[in-house]
Amino acid sequence: MTDLELELRDLAAHLDVPPAPPLFGTVLARVTRRRRRRRVVALAAACGVAALAVGFAVPGSRASLLRFFHVRGAAVTLVDRLPPLTGDRSLGQPIALEQAEFRLLLPSGRRPDTVYAGDGGYWLRYPGLLLFEFESGGGPEILKKAALGTSDVEYVQVRGEPGIWIGGRHALYLPGGPPVAAGRTLIWQHGSVTLRLEAAVGLERALAVAHGVH
Amino acid sequence: MQTPGEEALVERARRGDPDAFEALVLAYQSLAFRTAFLIAGDATDAEEAAQDGFVKAHRALRRFRSGEPFRPWLLTIVANEARNRRRTRGRRAALALRATPVPHAPGEDPEEAALATERRQQLLTAVEGLGDDDRDVLACRYFLELSEAETAAALGIAHGTVKSRTHRALARLQEELQ
Repeated sequence: MTDLELELRDLAAHLDVPPAPPLFGTVLARVTRRRRRRRVVALAAACGVAALAVGFAVPGSRASLLRFFHVRGAAVTLVDRLPPLTGDRSLGQPIALEQAEFRLLLPSGRRPDTVYAGDGGYWLRYPGLLLFEFESGGGPEILKKAALGTSDVEYVQVRGEPGIWIGGRHALYLPGGPPVAAGRTLIWQHGSVTLRLEAAVGLERALAVAHGVH
Repeated sequence: MQTPGEEALVERARRGDPDAFEALVLAYQSLAFRTAFLIAGDATDAEEAAQDGFVKAHRALRRFRSGEPFRPWLLTIVANEARNRRRTRGRRAALALRATPVPHAPGEDPEEAALATERRQQLLTAVEGLGDDDRDVLACRYFLELSEAETAAALGIAHGTVKSRTHRALARLQEELQ
Protein backbone atom coordinates (compact mmCIF):
# COMPACT_ATOMS: atom_id res chain seq x y z
CA MET A 1 0.00 0.00 0.00
CA THR A 2 1.39 3.42 -0.96
CA ASP A 3 1.73 6.38 1.40
CA LEU A 4 -1.25 8.03 -0.25
CA GLU A 5 -3.41 4.96 0.30
CA LEU A 6 -2.34 4.88 3.95
CA GLU A 7 -3.24 8.55 4.26
CA LEU A 8 -6.69 7.84 2.85
CA ARG A 9 -7.20 5.07 5.41
CA ASP A 10 -6.13 7.47 8.15
CA LEU A 11 -8.49 10.13 6.80
CA ALA A 12 -11.44 7.75 7.18
CA ALA A 13 -10.99 7.80 10.96
CA HIS A 14 -11.26 11.59 11.01
CA LEU A 15 -14.33 12.07 8.81
CA ASP A 16 -17.39 13.64 10.32
CA VAL A 17 -19.80 10.77 9.78
CA PRO A 18 -22.88 10.88 12.04
CA PRO A 19 -23.55 7.78 14.14
CA ALA A 20 -25.96 5.36 12.53
CA PRO A 21 -29.55 6.00 13.58
CA PRO A 22 -31.54 3.10 15.05
CA LEU A 23 -32.77 1.56 11.82
CA PHE A 24 -33.90 -1.87 12.87
CA GLY A 25 -37.14 -0.82 14.60
CA THR A 26 -38.45 0.96 11.52
CA VAL A 27 -37.14 -1.64 9.09
CA LEU A 28 -38.74 -4.51 10.98
CA ALA A 29 -42.00 -2.63 11.33
CA ARG A 30 -42.12 -2.03 7.58
CA VAL A 31 -41.23 -5.62 6.81
CA THR A 32 -43.68 -6.99 9.36
CA ARG A 33 -46.44 -4.70 8.15
CA ARG A 34 -45.93 -5.85 4.58
CA ARG A 35 -45.90 -9.51 5.57
CA ARG A 36 -49.00 -9.13 7.64
CA ARG A 37 -50.77 -7.27 4.86
CA ARG A 38 -49.85 -10.06 2.51
CA ARG A 39 -51.33 -12.68 4.79
CA VAL A 40 -54.52 -10.71 5.32
CA VAL A 41 -54.64 -11.18 9.04
CA ALA A 42 -56.13 -7.79 9.75
CA LEU A 43 -58.77 -9.21 12.04
CA ALA A 44 -56.31 -11.09 14.19
CA ALA A 45 -54.08 -8.02 14.33
CA ALA A 46 -56.95 -5.85 15.48
CA CYS A 47 -57.73 -8.37 18.19
CA GLY A 48 -54.09 -8.24 19.34
CA VAL A 49 -54.16 -4.46 19.67
CA ALA A 50 -57.47 -4.55 21.46
CA ALA A 51 -56.27 -7.18 23.91
CA LEU A 52 -53.15 -5.22 24.74
CA ALA A 53 -55.09 -1.99 25.06
CA VAL A 54 -57.42 -3.66 27.53
CA GLY A 55 -54.38 -4.94 29.38
CA PHE A 56 -53.03 -1.44 29.73
CA ALA A 57 -56.34 0.07 30.67
CA VAL A 58 -57.42 -2.46 33.27
CA PRO A 59 -54.59 -3.50 35.59
CA GLY A 60 -56.54 -6.43 36.96
CA SER A 61 -56.91 -8.06 33.57
CA ARG A 62 -53.23 -8.31 32.68
CA ALA A 63 -53.15 -12.08 32.46
CA SER A 64 -50.59 -11.98 29.62
CA LEU A 65 -48.52 -9.15 31.06
CA LEU A 66 -45.41 -10.58 32.61
CA ARG A 67 -43.81 -7.71 34.50
CA PHE A 68 -44.17 -3.96 34.97
CA PHE A 69 -41.62 -1.12 35.15
CA HIS A 70 -42.46 2.45 36.00
CA VAL A 71 -40.87 5.89 36.27
CA ARG A 72 -42.79 9.14 36.54
CA GLY A 73 -44.86 9.65 33.39
CA ALA A 74 -43.82 6.38 31.76
CA ALA A 75 -44.54 2.69 32.08
CA VAL A 76 -43.03 -0.36 30.44
CA THR A 77 -44.89 -3.65 30.46
CA LEU A 78 -43.36 -6.97 29.50
CA VAL A 79 -45.76 -9.02 27.42
CA ASP A 80 -45.59 -12.41 25.78
CA ARG A 81 -46.45 -11.06 22.32
CA LEU A 82 -46.01 -7.66 20.68
CA PRO A 83 -48.90 -6.10 18.81
CA PRO A 84 -48.60 -5.29 15.09
CA LEU A 85 -46.43 -2.21 14.88
CA THR A 86 -46.25 0.68 12.51
CA GLY A 87 -42.95 2.33 11.64
CA ASP A 88 -44.57 5.62 10.71
CA ARG A 89 -44.09 8.17 13.42
CA SER A 90 -45.09 11.78 12.97
CA LEU A 91 -43.14 13.79 15.49
CA GLY A 92 -45.41 16.83 15.42
CA GLN A 93 -44.98 20.46 14.51
CA PRO A 94 -41.41 21.75 13.99
CA ILE A 95 -40.69 24.67 16.32
CA ALA A 96 -37.71 26.75 17.38
CA LEU A 97 -35.90 25.47 20.47
CA GLU A 98 -36.78 28.65 22.34
CA GLN A 99 -40.52 28.21 21.69
CA ALA A 100 -40.80 25.24 24.06
CA GLU A 101 -42.90 25.88 27.14
CA PHE A 102 -40.17 24.71 29.47
CA ARG A 103 -36.40 24.77 29.17
CA LEU A 104 -35.44 21.76 27.11
CA LEU A 105 -32.50 19.74 28.33
CA LEU A 106 -29.77 19.16 25.76
CA PRO A 107 -27.09 16.43 25.52
CA SER A 108 -23.79 18.15 26.33
CA GLY A 109 -25.58 21.43 25.64
CA ARG A 110 -25.74 20.62 21.89
CA ARG A 111 -28.61 22.14 19.95
CA PRO A 112 -30.72 19.60 18.07
CA ASP A 113 -31.16 19.60 14.29
CA THR A 114 -34.90 19.96 14.72
CA VAL A 115 -37.38 20.33 17.58
CA TYR A 116 -40.97 19.13 17.19
CA ALA A 117 -43.88 19.86 19.52
CA GLY A 118 -46.14 16.84 19.80
CA ASP A 119 -47.38 13.92 21.90
CA GLY A 120 -47.58 16.10 24.99
CA GLY A 121 -43.92 17.03 24.91
CA TYR A 122 -41.04 17.83 22.59
CA TRP A 123 -39.03 15.65 20.23
CA LEU A 124 -35.41 16.68 19.70
CA ARG A 125 -33.81 15.16 16.64
CA TYR A 126 -30.03 14.73 16.44
CA PRO A 127 -28.06 12.66 13.94
CA GLY A 128 -28.49 9.11 15.15
CA LEU A 129 -30.38 10.07 18.26
CA LEU A 130 -33.96 10.96 19.11
CA LEU A 131 -34.83 12.57 22.42
CA PHE A 132 -38.34 13.11 23.81
CA GLU A 133 -38.95 15.33 26.82
CA PHE A 134 -42.10 16.14 28.71
CA GLU A 135 -43.06 17.66 32.06
CA SER A 136 -44.14 14.74 34.14
CA GLY A 137 -44.79 16.18 37.59
CA GLY A 138 -48.05 14.68 38.80
CA GLY A 139 -49.45 14.25 35.30
CA PRO A 140 -50.68 11.13 33.55
CA GLU A 141 -48.40 8.59 31.93
CA ILE A 142 -47.45 9.93 28.51
CA LEU A 143 -45.25 7.04 27.45
CA LYS A 144 -46.47 3.50 27.52
CA LYS A 145 -44.36 0.72 26.18
CA ALA A 146 -44.67 -2.98 25.70
CA ALA A 147 -41.64 -5.19 25.33
CA LEU A 148 -41.34 -8.93 24.94
CA GLY A 149 -40.84 -10.81 28.17
CA THR A 150 -37.54 -12.05 26.85
CA SER A 151 -36.27 -8.49 26.28
CA ASP A 152 -33.42 -6.86 28.09
CA VAL A 153 -35.32 -4.42 30.33
CA GLU A 154 -33.95 -3.17 33.61
CA TYR A 155 -34.08 -0.34 36.10
CA VAL A 156 -31.11 2.02 36.02
CA GLN A 157 -30.10 5.26 37.71
CA VAL A 158 -29.13 8.51 36.00
CA ARG A 159 -27.61 11.08 38.33
CA GLY A 160 -29.37 9.39 41.21
CA GLU A 161 -32.79 9.47 39.57
CA PRO A 162 -34.66 6.39 38.37
CA GLY A 163 -34.68 5.25 34.80
CA ILE A 164 -35.54 2.24 32.64
CA TRP A 165 -33.39 0.71 29.94
CA ILE A 166 -35.05 -1.26 27.13
CA GLY A 167 -32.36 -3.06 25.17
CA GLY A 168 -34.42 -4.24 22.22
CA ARG A 169 -37.35 -3.82 19.92
CA HIS A 170 -40.57 -2.83 21.59
CA ALA A 171 -43.91 -1.13 21.07
CA LEU A 172 -44.25 2.55 21.91
CA TYR A 173 -47.72 3.88 22.69
CA LEU A 174 -48.13 7.63 22.41
CA PRO A 175 -51.34 9.41 23.42
CA GLY A 176 -54.10 8.60 20.94
CA GLY A 177 -51.85 6.87 18.43
CA PRO A 178 -51.27 3.28 17.29
CA PRO A 179 -48.30 1.34 18.67
CA VAL A 180 -45.14 2.19 16.79
CA ALA A 181 -41.91 0.24 16.54
CA ALA A 182 -39.06 1.50 18.67
CA GLY A 183 -35.49 0.40 19.24
CA ARG A 184 -33.10 0.60 22.19
CA THR A 185 -34.35 3.23 24.58
CA LEU A 186 -33.44 4.82 27.88
CA ILE A 187 -36.14 6.59 29.87
CA TRP A 188 -35.26 8.57 32.97
CA GLN A 189 -36.38 11.35 35.25
CA HIS A 190 -34.55 14.65 35.50
CA GLY A 191 -36.17 17.01 37.98
CA SER A 192 -39.70 17.72 36.80
CA VAL A 193 -39.00 16.38 33.33
CA THR A 194 -39.01 12.81 32.03
CA LEU A 195 -36.78 12.07 29.07
CA ARG A 196 -36.71 9.29 26.52
CA LEU A 197 -33.60 8.67 24.45
CA GLU A 198 -33.63 6.33 21.45
CA ALA A 199 -30.42 5.46 19.62
CA ALA A 200 -28.66 2.38 18.29
CA VAL A 201 -26.24 2.26 21.18
CA GLY A 202 -25.73 0.04 24.18
CA LEU A 203 -26.68 0.83 27.77
CA GLU A 204 -23.27 2.19 28.68
CA ARG A 205 -23.25 4.73 25.85
CA ALA A 206 -26.87 5.68 26.47
CA LEU A 207 -26.11 6.33 30.12
CA ALA A 208 -23.09 8.46 29.13
CA VAL A 209 -25.32 10.60 26.91
CA ALA A 210 -27.99 10.83 29.62
CA HIS A 211 -25.43 11.93 32.21
CA GLY A 212 -24.37 14.71 29.82
CA VAL A 213 -27.92 16.06 29.46
CA HIS A 214 -28.38 19.41 31.18
CA MET B 1 -16.38 -13.56 3.31
CA GLN B 2 -19.36 -15.06 5.08
CA THR B 3 -19.02 -16.62 8.50
CA PRO B 4 -20.79 -19.94 9.10
CA GLY B 5 -23.01 -18.24 11.70
CA GLU B 6 -24.00 -15.58 9.25
CA GLU B 7 -24.77 -18.08 6.52
CA ALA B 8 -27.15 -19.82 8.91
CA LEU B 9 -28.75 -16.49 9.81
CA VAL B 10 -29.28 -15.63 6.15
CA GLU B 11 -30.85 -19.04 5.56
CA ARG B 12 -33.18 -18.59 8.50
CA ALA B 13 -34.09 -15.09 7.31
CA ARG B 14 -34.83 -16.49 3.84
CA ARG B 15 -37.24 -18.93 5.42
CA GLY B 16 -39.05 -16.03 7.06
CA ASP B 17 -37.53 -16.06 10.56
CA PRO B 18 -37.94 -12.43 11.78
CA ASP B 19 -35.36 -12.86 14.56
CA ALA B 20 -32.72 -13.86 12.02
CA PHE B 21 -33.48 -10.88 9.83
CA GLU B 22 -33.40 -8.59 12.88
CA ALA B 23 -29.95 -9.96 13.73
CA LEU B 24 -28.76 -9.17 10.20
CA VAL B 25 -30.15 -5.63 10.38
CA LEU B 26 -28.46 -5.09 13.74
CA ALA B 27 -25.18 -6.46 12.41
CA TYR B 28 -25.15 -4.31 9.29
CA GLN B 29 -27.10 -1.14 10.09
CA SER B 30 -23.98 0.87 10.93
CA LEU B 31 -22.12 -0.19 7.79
CA ALA B 32 -25.20 0.38 5.64
CA PHE B 33 -25.70 3.88 7.03
CA ARG B 34 -22.01 4.78 6.70
CA THR B 35 -21.92 3.50 3.12
CA ALA B 36 -25.03 5.48 2.22
CA PHE B 37 -23.72 8.59 3.94
CA LEU B 38 -20.37 8.49 2.15
CA ILE B 39 -22.18 8.21 -1.19
CA ALA B 40 -25.12 10.54 -0.59
CA GLY B 41 -23.33 13.02 1.68
CA ASP B 42 -26.48 13.72 3.69
CA ALA B 43 -27.60 12.08 6.93
CA THR B 44 -31.32 12.08 6.14
CA ASP B 45 -30.79 10.66 2.66
CA ALA B 46 -28.42 8.09 4.12
CA GLU B 47 -30.93 7.00 6.76
CA GLU B 48 -33.66 6.61 4.14
CA ALA B 49 -31.35 4.82 1.73
CA ALA B 50 -30.17 2.37 4.38
CA GLN B 51 -33.71 1.76 5.59
CA ASP B 52 -35.09 1.23 2.07
CA GLY B 53 -32.08 -0.94 1.29
CA PHE B 54 -32.90 -3.31 4.15
CA VAL B 55 -36.57 -3.46 3.22
CA LYS B 56 -35.72 -4.22 -0.43
CA ALA B 57 -33.14 -6.78 0.68
CA HIS B 58 -35.81 -8.50 2.74
CA ARG B 59 -38.12 -8.63 -0.25
CA ALA B 60 -35.33 -10.03 -2.42
CA LEU B 61 -34.06 -12.59 0.08
CA ARG B 62 -35.71 -15.46 -1.77
CA ARG B 63 -33.61 -14.60 -4.81
CA PHE B 64 -30.41 -14.50 -2.75
CA ARG B 65 -28.15 -17.36 -3.76
CA SER B 66 -27.38 -19.66 -0.89
CA GLY B 67 -23.73 -19.61 0.18
CA GLU B 68 -22.98 -16.25 -1.46
CA PRO B 69 -21.60 -13.49 0.80
CA PHE B 70 -24.42 -11.40 2.24
CA ARG B 71 -22.47 -8.17 2.90
CA PRO B 72 -21.66 -7.16 -0.71
CA TRP B 73 -25.16 -8.17 -1.79
CA LEU B 74 -26.69 -5.86 0.82
CA LEU B 75 -24.24 -3.07 0.04
CA THR B 76 -25.18 -3.26 -3.65
CA ILE B 77 -28.78 -2.48 -2.74
CA VAL B 78 -27.94 0.23 -0.19
CA ALA B 79 -25.38 1.96 -2.42
CA ASN B 80 -27.86 1.95 -5.29
CA GLU B 81 -30.48 3.60 -3.06
CA ALA B 82 -27.92 6.21 -1.96
CA ARG B 83 -26.88 6.98 -5.54
CA ASN B 84 -30.52 7.39 -6.54
CA ARG B 85 -31.02 9.94 -3.80
CA ARG B 86 -27.84 11.78 -4.74
CA ARG B 87 -29.05 11.89 -8.34
CA THR B 88 -32.49 13.15 -7.31
CA ARG B 89 -30.99 15.83 -5.12
CA GLY B 90 -28.68 16.89 -7.96
CA ARG B 91 -25.81 17.64 -5.64
CA ARG B 92 -23.91 16.08 -2.78
CA ALA B 93 -22.86 17.82 0.40
CA ALA B 94 -19.09 17.71 0.85
CA LEU B 95 -17.66 15.52 3.59
CA ALA B 96 -15.96 17.28 6.46
CA LEU B 97 -13.44 16.44 9.12
CA ARG B 98 -14.74 16.00 12.64
CA ALA B 99 -14.94 19.35 14.42
CA THR B 100 -13.52 17.92 17.63
CA PRO B 101 -10.00 16.74 16.95
CA VAL B 102 -8.83 13.47 18.38
CA PRO B 103 -6.99 14.24 21.62
CA HIS B 104 -3.23 14.27 21.22
CA ALA B 105 -1.36 11.30 22.52
CA PRO B 106 0.98 12.01 25.44
CA GLY B 107 4.23 13.35 24.06
CA GLU B 108 2.76 14.19 20.65
CA ASP B 109 3.96 17.49 19.28
CA PRO B 110 0.91 19.84 18.96
CA GLU B 111 2.52 21.50 15.96
CA GLU B 112 2.89 18.19 14.16
CA ALA B 113 -0.69 17.34 15.06
CA ALA B 114 -1.85 20.65 13.55
CA LEU B 115 0.11 19.95 10.39
CA ALA B 116 -1.44 16.49 10.17
CA THR B 117 -4.92 18.01 10.46
CA GLU B 118 -4.06 20.50 7.73
CA ARG B 119 -2.80 17.70 5.49
CA ARG B 120 -5.99 15.68 6.08
CA GLN B 121 -8.10 18.68 5.14
CA GLN B 122 -6.03 19.15 1.99
CA LEU B 123 -6.48 15.48 1.10
CA LEU B 124 -10.21 15.57 1.79
CA THR B 125 -10.61 18.67 -0.39
CA ALA B 126 -8.76 16.88 -3.17
CA VAL B 127 -11.00 13.80 -2.80
CA GLU B 128 -14.10 16.00 -2.88
CA GLY B 129 -12.78 17.63 -6.04
CA LEU B 130 -12.87 14.31 -7.92
CA GLY B 131 -15.79 13.23 -10.06
CA ASP B 132 -18.46 11.05 -8.41
CA ASP B 133 -17.18 7.83 -10.04
CA ASP B 134 -13.62 8.31 -8.80
CA ARG B 135 -14.70 9.55 -5.41
CA ASP B 136 -17.10 6.64 -4.85
CA VAL B 137 -14.46 4.06 -5.60
CA LEU B 138 -12.00 5.70 -3.18
CA ALA B 139 -14.70 5.97 -0.51
CA CYS B 140 -15.47 2.27 -0.83
CA ARG B 141 -11.88 1.12 -0.93
CA TYR B 142 -10.31 3.38 1.72
CA PHE B 143 -13.07 4.97 3.84
CA LEU B 144 -15.19 1.83 4.11
CA GLU B 145 -12.28 -0.56 3.63
CA LEU B 146 -14.23 -2.75 1.22
CA SER B 147 -12.36 -5.29 -0.87
CA GLU B 148 -12.15 -4.82 -4.64
CA ALA B 149 -14.85 -7.45 -5.10
CA GLU B 150 -17.14 -5.77 -2.56
CA THR B 151 -16.49 -2.38 -4.13
CA ALA B 152 -17.39 -3.79 -7.54
CA ALA B 153 -20.62 -5.20 -6.13
CA ALA B 154 -21.53 -2.04 -4.22
CA LEU B 155 -20.95 0.24 -7.18
CA GLY B 156 -22.31 -2.14 -9.79
CA ILE B 157 -19.14 -2.12 -11.88
CA ALA B 158 -16.70 -4.77 -13.07
CA HIS B 159 -13.81 -5.89 -10.91
CA GLY B 160 -11.36 -4.59 -13.53
CA THR B 161 -13.10 -1.21 -13.53
CA VAL B 162 -12.54 -0.93 -9.77
CA LYS B 163 -8.82 -1.47 -10.35
CA SER B 164 -8.51 1.01 -13.20
CA ARG B 165 -10.73 3.62 -11.55
CA THR B 166 -8.81 3.35 -8.27
CA HIS B 167 -5.52 3.73 -10.11
CA ARG B 168 -6.80 6.75 -12.02
CA ALA B 169 -8.30 8.39 -8.92
CA LEU B 170 -5.09 7.92 -6.90
CA ALA B 171 -3.04 9.41 -9.76
CA ARG B 172 -5.35 12.43 -9.89
CA LEU B 173 -5.11 12.87 -6.14
CA GLN B 174 -1.34 12.64 -6.23
CA GLU B 175 -1.23 15.26 -8.96
CA GLU B 176 -3.59 17.54 -7.05
CA LEU B 177 -1.55 17.29 -3.86
CA GLN B 178 1.82 18.11 -5.43
